[in-house]
Amino acid sequence: MNTILGLGFILLAGLFSARLINKIKFPAVTAYLLLGIVIGPSVFKLIPNNIIGASGLISNIVLGIIAFSIGQNFSIDNFRRIGKSVIWISVLEACGAWVLVTLIFLILLKQPLYISLIFGAISSATAPAATIMVIREYRAKGNFTDTLLGVVAIDDAWCLIIFAISLAISQAISNHMLATFFLIRVFFNSILSIFGAFILGGVVAIALYYLSRYLRTQTELLIFTLGFVFLNIGIAVWLRLSVLLANMFLGAILVNINKSTFNFFDTLKTVDSPLFLLFFVLAGANLEIGILDRLGLIGLAYLIFRVVGKLIGAGLGARISGASGSIRRYLGLGLVPQAGVALGCALIAKSDFPKVGGMIFTTIIATTVVYELIGPLCTKFALQKAGEVVVEHGQNI
Amino acid sequence: MQVKEVMSKEVITVKRSTTLKQLLDIFTTFHVFPLVPVIEGDNVLVGIVSFRNLINVFQPHQSQMLKTVPFLDEEEEDIFKVEFTEEVGSLVVAEDIMEKKFVAIQEDASLEEAYKLMKLHLKEEFPVVNRAGRLLGMVGIFDIVRYIFRQKGVIK
Repeated sequence: MNTILGLGFILLAGLFSARLINKIKFPAVTAYLLLGIVIGPSVFKLIPNNIIGASGLISNIVLGIIAFSIGQNFSIDNFRRIGKSVIWISVLEACGAWVLVTLIFLILLKQPLYISLIFGAISSATAPAATIMVIREYRAKGNFTDTLLGVVAIDDAWCLIIFAISLAISQAISNHMLATFFLIRVFFNSILSIFGAFILGGVVAIALYYLSRYLRTQTELLIFTLGFVFLNIGIAVWLRLSVLLANMFLGAILVNINKSTFNFFDTLKTVDSPLFLLFFVLAGANLEIGILDRLGLIGLAYLIFRVVGKLIGAGLGARISGASGSIRRYLGLGLVPQAGVALGCALIAKSDFPKVGGMIFTTIIATTVVYELIGPLCTKFALQKAGEVVVEHGQNI
Repeated sequence: MQVKEVMSKEVITVKRSTTLKQLLDIFTTFHVFPLVPVIEGDNVLVGIVSFRNLINVFQPHQSQMLKTVPFLDEEEEDIFKVEFTEEVGSLVVAEDIMEKKFVAIQEDASLEEAYKLMKLHLKEEFPVVNRAGRLLGMVGIFDIVRYIFRQKGVIK
């Protein structure tokens, strides 16, 4: 199959499989991922190698766009609106998973620190698509639902920050294992990667804002925004800064410069969906089925302790912020699914640490499939326990 | 020519607390639902409601915050089959459905600038405000076209 035929096939097959899986109430993301596994090299080998080879490129672009879009959350207005419960719960559930998974991998599974840190950081991500689908299906409403929506909306922003910090530390550890002044180097490299990303995002945001006055049409706006996002990703890659943070800062600084900058974010939405589809199918295709049976313990530990970490963190956050009993007990169960951001981070880890990357990525893909399948059930259980399910099987209760 | 010279000054506005029922009643005789400015206090513009926002009533979880969430499936709500009760008319208020992020144009902006912004944002109408953010009127693409026709002598 030639490359273009392959692309056409992936897009159309993705569209139809999403429609199909929608009938049994799973999000499109799950369909793309399963499709990728099925048509990928591990099973039917229907995806041309050229396209598989472009996985790194596509994921960098997609993650850059996502990080840019997530940056919008950091407007002063938004923080005022979402309230202290959501902030406490989201920060602590993300950190809870990060710390617990890292410690379990390091101490119990005896993995090296840099691998443990990467797993820990990826575990902080949550995929809201499945959760929101359940909320919509059961027409859930109330305080619990509002808090859950707030948490899943902001959660990925914390994940990106956690991942960027962990990646910087992991890179420094694995590069300078034998160097003198080890700790100082680790610290210096991490600060450089994060602070540099902040400066880059800031400079590009200001340039983008001032040059945007010369735009005349919607088409120009789209090309201009995409151009600047690519420029920012490219410079970050070139200077070895954090791509995720550079783009998140670009979005965050832009949204605070002027209220009318929402246009830059909205315009990208017109082109992002085929890219996202491709990203998930390729993520599925990158699964190495051969490694799966060797992952048993690692996969199981990740599956269990990520959720435990989130439950503890969310409960603690709810307690500190004085949220209700049902939020304290059950909110963590709405945060089980993981997908795009976790897979993207795993792809970055795969390209940055080629020796262990395959193992990390395959673990994340396999656990993602499990989480996407059980996540909706957990969310439904949590909503029922909180007493906020309005419609059950099409009936009012 | 500045925007304030061609804008419509007689604008029907609503408040944050205007209910959905009142909104629909006010515009029941209109041909299409217009762009309605939401104001508070001393005419300060805080939001706008368009017919798109009326559809938000059918999609309660399509909040502003979720716009930044990646990989979300678009909700396909069949508006012909949706069920809600009469009380929605008085429970939903303008503040719940209004757009808080919107483009407003300054009163002293030129017509060329207004037209450029309309093309850039794919909009046919903008609220006009002064430096303090107070609503002064509305300017639409038709106001600009009419001005050009008048200038060429087609209409007096």
